[in-house]
This record gives sequence, structure tokens and C-alpha cells, in this order.
Amino acid sequence: MLDPSFLRKLDRLSLITRRAMRGELQGERRSPRRGASVEFADFRPYASGDDIRQIDWNLYARAERFYLKLFVAEEELNLHLLIDTSASMDWGEPNKLRYAQQLAAALGYIALSNLDRVSVHAIGTGSAQSLSGVRGKRGAIPLFNFMQNLQAGGTTQLAQRCRQYVMNVRNPGPLLLCSDLLDPNWREALTALTTRPFEVTVMHILAPQELNPELEGEFKLNDAEGGPSIEVSADSSLLERYRANLAAWQREVESYCNGRNMTYVAIDTALPVEELVISQLRSRRVVR
Amino acid sequence: MSLISPLALLAAAIIGPIIVAMYLLKLRREERTVSSTFLWQQVIRDVEANAPWQKLRYNLLLLLQILLMLLLVFALARPFFATQGISGRNLIIILDRSASMAASDTPPSRLDTAKATALQLIDQLPDGGRATLILVGGTLEVPAAASGDRRELRAAIQAVALANGGGSDLAQALSLAAALAARDEQSEVAIISDGNLSLPNDIRVPARVSYFPIGNSSENSGISAIALEAGQNSQTLFVQVSNYGSQAVERRLNLYLDGALFNAYTLNLAPDLNQSQNIVVDVPPTVQQVEARLAGSDVLPADDRAFAISTFGSQLNVRLLSSGNHFLETGLSLLPNISLNNPNASAAPLSIIDGAIPDSFPAGNLLFIGPLRSTDYFSVTGQIDFPSLRAVSNSDPVLKNISLSEVSVLKAARIVPGSWARVLVTSDGAPMLMVGERDGRRIAVLAFDLHNSDLPLQIAFPLLLSNLIEYLAPGGSGAQLSPSQTLALPLDPSITEVRISRPDRSQASSGSGAIQIRAGQAIYADTDMLGIYHLEALRDGSVVQRRSYAVNADPQESPIRPQADLRIPQTSGAESTTARNRDGRQEIWRWLALAALIVLVIEWLVYQRNGLVLLRQRWMR
Repeated sequence: MLDPSFLRKLDRLSLITRRAMRGELQGERRSPRRGASVEFADFRPYASGDDIRQIDWNLYARAERFYLKLFVAEEELNLHLLIDTSASMDWGEPNKLRYAQQLAAALGYIALSNLDRVSVHAIGTGSAQSLSGVRGKRGAIPLFNFMQNLQAGGTTQLAQRCRQYVMNVRNPGPLLLCSDLLDPNWREALTALTTRPFEVTVMHILAPQELNPELEGEFKLNDAEGGPSIEVSADSSLLERYRANLAAWQREVESYCNGRNMTYVAIDTALPVEELVISQLRSRRVVR
Repeated sequence: MSLISPLALLAAAIIGPIIVAMYLLKLRREERTVSSTFLWQQVIRDVEANAPWQKLRYNLLLLLQILLMLLLVFALARPFFATQGISGRNLIIILDRSASMAASDTPPSRLDTAKATALQLIDQLPDGGRATLILVGGTLEVPAAASGDRRELRAAIQAVALANGGGSDLAQALSLAAALAARDEQSEVAIISDGNLSLPNDIRVPARVSYFPIGNSSENSGISAIALEAGQNSQTLFVQVSNYGSQAVERRLNLYLDGALFNAYTLNLAPDLNQSQNIVVDVPPTVQQVEARLAGSDVLPADDRAFAISTFGSQLNVRLLSSGNHFLETGLSLLPNISLNNPNASAAPLSIIDGAIPDSFPAGNLLFIGPLRSTDYFSVTGQIDFPSLRAVSNSDPVLKNISLSEVSVLKAARIVPGSWARVLVTSDGAPMLMVGERDGRRIAVLAFDLHNSDLPLQIAFPLLLSNLIEYLAPGGSGAQLSPSQTLALPLDPSITEVRISRPDRSQASSGSGAIQIRAGQAIYADTDMLGIYHLEALRDGSVVQRRSYAVNADPQESPIRPQADLRIPQTSGAESTTARNRDGRQEIWRWLALAALIVLVIEWLVYQRNGLVLLRQRWMR
């Protein structure tokens, strides 16, 4: 699925989080919780039932009260990968879904190599495909297998699926949404992701044929997801208007994301995944 | 507008539905699956906001194709406008190029309008038709004879230039046209003129004759005569100004002596030729040339200007070959500026041969009086006793102011005239007085000896003699020529070169062949331009003789009233030549075909508009 040399490069990368996230198991990330590490965090008064090993006796000698010495906990990160597998994603050259799979696999591998926990969820009509909680480098195999076996089909009910997923997650963390957002309800979908404290990155994947359609003449355009068909007489002025419309839409999505503290990355599938991850995502401060 | 082949319109009924049907079939769009029509919907929504225009736009090709089809079908139906024109296959155009066609009442000039009419007739010529172009006015010319080549015909018509000389005599042109028309049944004669033509009445044209009148104004006034008569010690200038129009006008006449303004007269000209204004004024004997000019302008400017050359002090040499004729010598001595048998004169422009015919004739013009035997120019076959004289035409300038009815003649020679001769006075068919031109010289023949008549005793004799001398030696010692009249100057044999400075300051020389020196005469024929010609005779490079000649507009061309009809007998019995019915056809399919071509180009550009936009973008880049 991914090139071994590319994987070696990915080993050196890690995801950037803007704030501390809560995890389940001990890991390498700062957590908002107090726990066992070498880094001092705070004192707090002793309450019955606390571990007496954590009492700071020096402080007791000075204040004659029991205080516990707290340390910053280091826990794992829960990376959520949401992949849009609607029929519209299975289109374009290079294929958008394939691109999304590779991108998600790469980012998931980065997370796994940093001892983070990765959950993958495919958003499509078919039976909800998901992989929850693989951890550690050995989890790369099931991750890649899962990615490989993703099937596209049906219409996106992006908003509904996103809402469901967000509700069911135990530990919010960084969330990557790989989608073409070709859904009239894309605003609701993005809003749903903000209801819990995820750090959302929107990977807006579009094929070159969508960015710059090459049509000339009379066409009947059929929707891959069974939407309404449209008859167009394509000429340069129509294509010009299409491109202007597309650019306006992309700007709208971007400003919508910026307004909700989401990172927006517009992706053209003509750009190789490797280059995207190594250079583009680093410059956009998604990975380090 | 009518159609020649209206059945062609049926094609529209067949092809039109086919085009529409093909278009509808083509409208079945190619299906293509896209990821989502989500984005397209918004674009289409914008487009549908101005749907009617957009629909039209997408059907533009269909509309253009239907327009193209309609134009082509309409062209196939050959629509035409009925115009006044011709319908024959053998067209004979008689185009008037006389001086009166220079009138500017149909801008730019009548001649240009006539040319345009002729071109129109050429356009109407049916396929396979032929046309002949005959020019009247000046010498008769046929620049294009029975030609089917429209380009050649057009070029011939475009090249027609005005001829100032000679009247518009239709007789010659019509007899030629009649001969041409007799060869083809579908002949038609078109006369394009202002109608100021002298009409023959003895020609019956075996074809339909159509007359295309040119011009709409008759208002013209001009100088009808100018003369500078030399007296003993002074010169008398005579200028006559006439109004040929139908309304009284006031014009100012300026007289210039040697280029300086001498006097100006304000003339009230009544619209009547009998009330012409005459100006008689004495001018100093030193004046060499006089110019009379009517200030302002009118429709025909050519006759508003006239020149006269002084003949003061110059003598006309006349050689008299006679066995002694007292009457003749007395009559000639009464005429001014005539030197008879001057032994010092090298050449005489006029020789009078009285009675006996010499073996060889001297150079110059000839006047025979009572010839005793035949010559190269005429034959004497006998004698007529007591002929009674009758003038053939009173309008001839030779017979001006002369009545010969009182003249009694005892006997005269019976003369058979040559074809060159114009008979002025006859007696029962035998010519008594005839004039004409032959071999570059003017000849006049009086058939009876003066001693055998009482003519010398009558008042008519000095007048006739004066008129004959005026005809045979124009301008006395040579001052005035009518346009295109050949300038012939007797020369001393030692003269080596003759130069002429034309009114437009261009030069002609015998060295370049423009002037011929032949039999003791310098002959120059290109005198169509109005104005003053200065002639210099050179001997070994030095000027030994100077003469000037004035060429003035022919007053016969000054009446410019357009004639509505010309009465020319035709074999059909008709005489009128106005176009009665509009049977000319002005076809317009060429224009329709041109429009169709343009529509075709537009259609192709519209079809390729995306490519064009791409090209433009690439260019901008």
C-alpha cells in the first residue's frame, strides 16, 4: 500500500497537537491528567484514599499538612481517521478514494509509530466499516489491511454519519476527515465535528477532472451517487463559470473551517501522496 | 421583386426540416458520469437566470444554418427587380460623349452618369449576350465590338473620355448600329445621351431602340461667339453671350487682355437665343490675346471661357491661279488682311484655281471656280444651261447671311462630286457649290465661272467669298479652331522642327512625331483640349515663326436641355424611343450568394468559438 522508503520517511514524522489530549493508556503525549512521569505538575491537599507514596514529606515538614506531589501524565493519543467512501469518492484519475486511503494510511502509520492509538471509520452507505483502537507499530498491518479493503458505494450522508461517530467516541483526539465534501449538507457535517473537542483537519480531496473539467459540446451529466442529472452545453464560458464557482466554494469551505478552528487542506489528487505528506502537510503544521 | 425560378423555393421546404431534424438528433446529449452534479447545479442555476437568451445562444448554429439555407435557396430562385433596361442578347450601346455631356447637373457629370447607366446595362446582359459600344461626339469610335467579355466591356466604358470636338451626329452611329442589329434578331439598341443629337430620318433601325435620357437641367449660359477683328489701326473685339436656359440670369463678363483685366460687364441674359448680349469694344492694336470669362459657374463650365488671338498685322497669303478675273481680285481686295500672290510668302494656305486646272495642285486648301476639267477630287461630265440655284441647307456657316435665289447663271459645269463633298447649293441634283475635306486639305468647288453669272454684282458675292475664305483658311490668318479641328500651317521648307505648347502647358514636337510635317504643312490633330495653343517653328534650333491658336467650345453643344424622347424610325413602326415597359432585369442572386458566404464564415466561427477563445488566451499569454 505504501512504499517502504516512504514508510521510513514517515517514521521520522509525528502528528502535531495543539493541546493536551486525554488517552487511555500510557503513552508519549502530554495528557491533561496527572500521573506518573518525571515532570512536576502541581500540589494538592491529601484526601483519604490517596496513595501515601505520593505525599511530599518536605512540604509536610514545613506546613504540617499533607500535600500530594502531582506529575504530568504521559498518555497515548487517539487519532481518528474518517474516510468518505461514498460513490463520488470512487472517481477521478488518480482515484480520489485510493488517494484518501493512502493518505489515511500514511497518517495512521505516523501515529502508530509514535505509540498512538488509531481508529479508522469509513463513512458510506454500506455497513459501517470501522477499525478501532489499533496501537503500536504492529497495528500497521491491520490498519493497512483495513484500508486496502475499503469499498466505495452509495450516497454520502456525511452529516448524519459524522454526528453518529462523534457521539460514540470515548476519547476525542486529532480527527482527520478525508472527503470531497460533495454533499449539499457539508456545513452540518463540519459543525457536527465541533461538538466534541476534536482537533479537526479537513482533507478536501478533489480530482483534477473536477478542478478543471475538460468538456466540450452537449452533455448529460449523471451523478455518481444517483443525484439529479444535468444537461449542459459546455463551452469555454460555461467552464469558466464552473471554475469560478468551484474556487468560490473552496474558499467558502476554508473560511468555514477557519472560523471553527479546523485546519483545511485543499488537495488535488494529481499531487503524489508522498509529496503531500512530506512537504505540504509539514508546512501546514499537521505533521512534524 | 419577382423570381425567375420560384420552384427552387421548394428546396427550402425539404432541406429546412432536415436541418431541424438533424439538429434535434444532435441534441441527444452524450452521457457522462461525474462525481457529483452538486457543483454543476449552481453553475446551471446562473445560466438559467437568463434562459431565453441562452437558449437562443445555444441555437445560434441552427439559426445560422437555416439563414444560410434560406439565402442559398433564395439565390437559387433568382430574384430580380424589374428596371428600365434591355432584354436583347445583342446589345448595341450608343454612348454620347459630346461636350454637352460634361454638364454637372447629374453629379459628377452627365458623362459619368451615362457610363454608370451603360455599366448597368452590361450587368443586365443575359448570359451569352454580346454588346457593342459606339461612341458619338467627336469622331465615331467603337471601342468594343460584339464582345461577350464583360470585363472588356466595362473597361471600354470606363475609359470613355469627353470629346469636345464635333457635334453629336447620330446618323453614322445609327447606320452602324442598324447594320449590326440586322445580323441578330435579338438585337437592341440603347442610346445613352442627353438628347442633343442631330437625328437622321432616313434610317430605319431593325431592332428596338431604347433611349436612356441623361440630365435634368437646361440652365446654361455661355459665350457663343468671340472674335478679334483687325482694322487699319485698331482691333475690335466682339463677344456674344447667350442664355440657353429657360430662366433669365445675370452674369458678369470679364475681359482680360494679355492676362490683365480690361473690363467687366454685368449682363442680364433673357432666356432667348435671339436676345443674346453682344459686346463690341475697341482694344489696342498691341493686344496679342483676349480672354473672355463669365464669372461664377453654371452647369456647363466649358463654354464660360473663350479666347481670341490677335491677327493684327498678319496677312493671309492667297495664291490666285487665274487667267485674269477682275471680279475675284476686287472681291478679295475688299477683305481685310489678305495678300494676294505675295511673292515673298513662302507658302500659301489657300489657293484659288479659277477656270483652268493646273497639272499639280499647290499645298494647302483649294477653291475651284468654274473648273474646266475633271480632277482627282471630282469629275466634270458636261455642262448645264441656265441652272436655278437652290440652297440645300441654310444653316451651313458657309451660306450664313447669303441668299442665292436672285442669282442667275448662264451655264455651269455638271460635276459628279466625290464622297468627301458636302453639297450646299444644287440645281436639279447637280451640285453648284460644295465643300469638304479630302487628303488633309479643305476643298470648295463653285461650279460656274463668275463671268457666266450675275453673282459678282450682288451683295451675296463678297459675303460668300468671305465665308468661303473663313472656311478654307479658318480665322483668316489663323487664330481660331474648333475643338478637334486639325491644325494645318503652311511651312517654309527650311523649317526643321515645329513645337506646340498646349493649354495645359504640355509640349508637343515634330521631333517626337506628335506633329507631322508633310507636303509643306505642319499638321497637328490633337486639339481637343480647350484653350490657347502656341506654335513655334524652328530652323536649326532658333525660332523663326510664332503663331497662336485659340480653341473654344463648340457653341452647338451649349444648349443642354435634355430631350425626353428621340424619334427614331424602327422596323416595328414605332418611332418613340422612351422605354415603355420595364423589361430590364436586375438580378440580385450574386449579393445573396455573397451574404450566404458571410453567414457561412460566421457559422464556422461560432462553431469553433471555444478554439478561438483558447487561441486568444494563448496569444494573451
